[in-house]
Amino acid sequence: MGTFETVNPGDQPVWINTDNCKACDICVSVCPAGVLAMVYADSSTLGAMISIEHPESCIGCGDCELHCPDFAIFVADKKEYKASGHKFAKLTDEAKARQEAIVKNNYMSLNQGAR
Amino acid sequence: MATREIISTGNDLAAIAAVDAGCKFFGGYPITPSSEVMHTISDLLPEVGGTCIQMEDEIAGICAAIGAAMSGVRAMTATSGPGVSLKAENLGLAQMAEVPLVLVNVMRGGPSTGLPTRVSQGDVRQSRNPSHGDYRSITLCAGNLAECYTEVVRAFNLADRFMQPVIVLTDETIGHMHGKAILPTVEEVKAGIVPRKTFDGPPEEYRPYECGPTEPAVLNPMFKGYRYHFTGLHHDSKGFPTEEIETCRKLIQRLEDKVMAHTDELEYNEEFMCDDLTGEKGEVLIIAYGSVSLAAKEAIRHLRSEGVKAGLFRPITLWPSPAKRIRELTDKIKNVLCVELNIRQYTEEVERVSGRLDIEGLYKVNGRAISPYEIVNKVKEVF
Amino acid sequence: MAFDYNRYLRLEKMPTLWCWGCGDGVILKAFIRAIDKLGWSQDDVCVISGIGCSGRFSSYVDFNTIHTTHGRTVAYATGVKLANPDKHVICVAGDGDALAIGGNHTIHGCRRNIDMTLIVINNFIYGLTNSQTSPTTPKGMWTVSQKVGNIDPTFDGCDLAIASGASFVARETMLDPRKLEKIFIKAFEHKGFSYLDILSNCHINLGRKNKMASAMENLEWIDNITMPKKKYDALSKEEQINLFPTGILHQDTNADEYCDMYQEVIKAHQGKRGKITQDEFEKKI
Repeated sequence: MGTFETVNPGDQPVWINTDNCKACDICVSVCPAGVLAMVYADSSTLGAMISIEHPESCIGCGDCELHCPDFAIFVADKKEYKASGHKFAKLTDEAKARQEAIVKNNYMSLNQGAR
Repeated sequence: MATREIISTGNDLAAIAAVDAGCKFFGGYPITPSSEVMHTISDLLPEVGGTCIQMEDEIAGICAAIGAAMSGVRAMTATSGPGVSLKAENLGLAQMAEVPLVLVNVMRGGPSTGLPTRVSQGDVRQSRNPSHGDYRSITLCAGNLAECYTEVVRAFNLADRFMQPVIVLTDETIGHMHGKAILPTVEEVKAGIVPRKTFDGPPEEYRPYECGPTEPAVLNPMFKGYRYHFTGLHHDSKGFPTEEIETCRKLIQRLEDKVMAHTDELEYNEEFMCDDLTGEKGEVLIIAYGSVSLAAKEAIRHLRSEGVKAGLFRPITLWPSPAKRIRELTDKIKNVLCVELNIRQYTEEVERVSGRLDIEGLYKVNGRAISPYEIVNKVKEVF
Repeated sequence: MAFDYNRYLRLEKMPTLWCWGCGDGVILKAFIRAIDKLGWSQDDVCVISGIGCSGRFSSYVDFNTIHTTHGRTVAYATGVKLANPDKHVICVAGDGDALAIGGNHTIHGCRRNIDMTLIVINNFIYGLTNSQTSPTTPKGMWTVSQKVGNIDPTFDGCDLAIASGASFVARETMLDPRKLEKIFIKAFEHKGFSYLDILSNCHINLGRKNKMASAMENLEWIDNITMPKKKYDALSKEEQINLFPTGILHQDTNADEYCDMYQEVIKAHQGKRGKITQDEFEKKI
C-alpha cells in the first residue's frame, strides 16, 4: 500500500518514496543533470531501486516527477524552495557528462557495474 | 382503490406506467414489436424533464440506461427477444454491480430473427438466466392490458428494493392490443413509489456494498458527495475489484440470497376459479401466463358451463417461481395442463417443483395465439 | 512542484497494478494535474473506463467512477451525461476497447457531439490479455495471435473521430507530460465531444517481442513515428506515410452539442418553443 510523501522531508530539492518505485529507469533517463541513478536492491522486484546520488546538481526542472508513472519521486516547488532559503543548481557541463555516463551504464549508478 | 379507465395499447401503457412511476431516462433501440414503447416515451419523458434517447444499437441502449441508473435516476429500456440476447452481458453487469433497471421484453417469435410481427412466449427460459454466471432473475409477466401498466410500476419499485434489473415480459399480442384498461390513479401510483435506500452518514463511513447477507447494496446517487466505484469484477465493500476468497464468496452468495430470502415480497399469482378445487376426480388445473391466460380464462368459463370443474393458476412473477404454491396445487389436483406459446419452457419448471413427470401440455410455436377452443379441446382430449 | 496528488487518489489501492514504466501511470498523473488546474470539484466529475489495463484507471482516482464492460465506455457515459448534463464526464479506454469492440459507440459518441472527453490510451496492442493484435498494431509486428507477423491493416482513430463528427480531436504522446496536461485541459474545457489519441508505451507486451523491451526504447519508437501537425502538413504524402501528426488536429467550437439540443427537445415538448425544423441547422444532411 502506498504512502505518498508530498511534503518535502528536509529541504531537499528532490526526494523519493521507495515503496512506490518499480525501477523502470525512466526518471534516470530524463534527468538532464545526472542527479539520479539506479542501485542494486535485493528486496525490490527487479533487483534495483532509485537513488538520489547528486542532489546538489538538481536544477528543479521536474521532469523526473512528471515522467514517473508511480508517484515515487517528487521535486520541490520552486517558490517554496526559494522561500526557505534554497536554490536549485544551474546545469553544468560536468553534470551533463555524468548523465551521459549513467545512461551508458544502463542507468546504474557509476559506483556500481552495469546490470 | 380509486381507478381510471384508459383506452390504449400494451406498449403505450408500459411507457405511461414508467413515467408515472418516476422513470427519468429511457435508452433504447427500435425492434418490432416493442418500438412503440420508445415512440410513446419519447414524447412523455421530455414533458417531465426526463431524457429518451434512441442509441446506435441494442447494447448501447441498455448501457446508456444502466449509466443513467448508476448516476441515480430510475431508468428503463424496452426490446424483444433478439435485443435481450444482445443486452445479456450488460444485464450481468447491472446484476453484479446491483444497479436497478427495468427491461421490458415484448416477446415475439424466435429463436433468432424468428417472427418479428408475431407472438410467442419463447423468452421465458432466457429471462431466468439472461446472462452468464450465477444470476437470480426477477421476471414479471403481464397477462392483460392493465398489467402492462401495473407490472411496470411494480417492476420499478422491485428494482429499487432489490437493486438489480427486473424483466417485465409482455408479448406481441398484448403489446399491440388496443383496448380498455382499468388502472390505479396517478396519485396512487406516485404515493406507492418506494425509491432505493440511501446512506446519509459521513462519506468516510460509506460502504455501499457492505450489507447483511440477505440485503441489497445501498447505492447513493452520484455527484452528491459520496464517491465510490462500480465494476463488473468481484468487488469489496467500497466497490473496488478484489479476488479475496471470502469476500468473493460472500458477494455471490448475497446476490442470490437477497432475492431468495425474500420471495414473499416477490410472489404474485392469480388463481382464477380455483376456490372449489379440492382434488376430486375430474378437476382440471390449467397453468398459463401472459396473453395465453386470457384464452385460458375463456376456456375455463366454457368448461365450467359444461360441468367440468376447471381453474387457472397464473403466475405473474414468473421468476423466482412460486414453487410452494405450485407444489400444493399439483399435489392436490391430478389433471394439470400447462399452456404456453413455446415448447415446455415453464412446464419444465412445474415438473421440477412438483416432482411430477405426467404434466400435460398444449404448446404452439407457429406465431399464432392459442384460442379458447384449442384449450377446451385439449382438455377433453387428454383428461 | 510538491503537488498534492493524494487528494485525487484512492490511496488504499496504491501502488498501481501497472507494469514498471507503463504510460498509464504518467497519463494518470497528467490527468490529475489537469483536473486540479481546472478547479473542478471531485463530486462533479464521473470517470468511466473500459476493460484493459487502461480500464483500471477509474479505480485509482477519487471521483464518481464506473468500470464498464468491454467497449461500452462511451455508451455508459452517454447515459450518465444525459441524465446529469451539468456534470463532467470523462471516458478512458484502450485502443481495442474504443476502436475494436467499442468502435460503433465511439463513432456515435463523436457523431452526437455530446459534451464529454474520450481519452484513448493507444499502446498499439491488447496489453492486459497478453499481446493480441489490436486495430492499431503496426503491420508486421509480432503478436500472440499472429506470431508470424501482423497482416491486419491499421487505421487512425483520429481520422475516424473527425469523420464521425467529433468537434475536438487531438493526439499527444507520453514523451512530454506537460503537453499532455495542457491537452487534457483543452479537451476537458471544450464543449462537445473531445477525442484524444494518447500514444503510450507497452514495452512489456508489445515491446518485448518487437525489439523494444524497455520503456525508453518504446518511447523512442513513439518519438520516431510522431511529428507536430505543422511540420507534418508540410511533408509530401510519401513522407507522411509512417507518421502520426500530434497536437490539435481538429477543433470546432460552433458545433451543436447534444445535451444543449436535447434541452430544445424538452422545450418543444413543454410548449416553450415550436418544433425543431431543418432551417435551424447549417449542415442538415
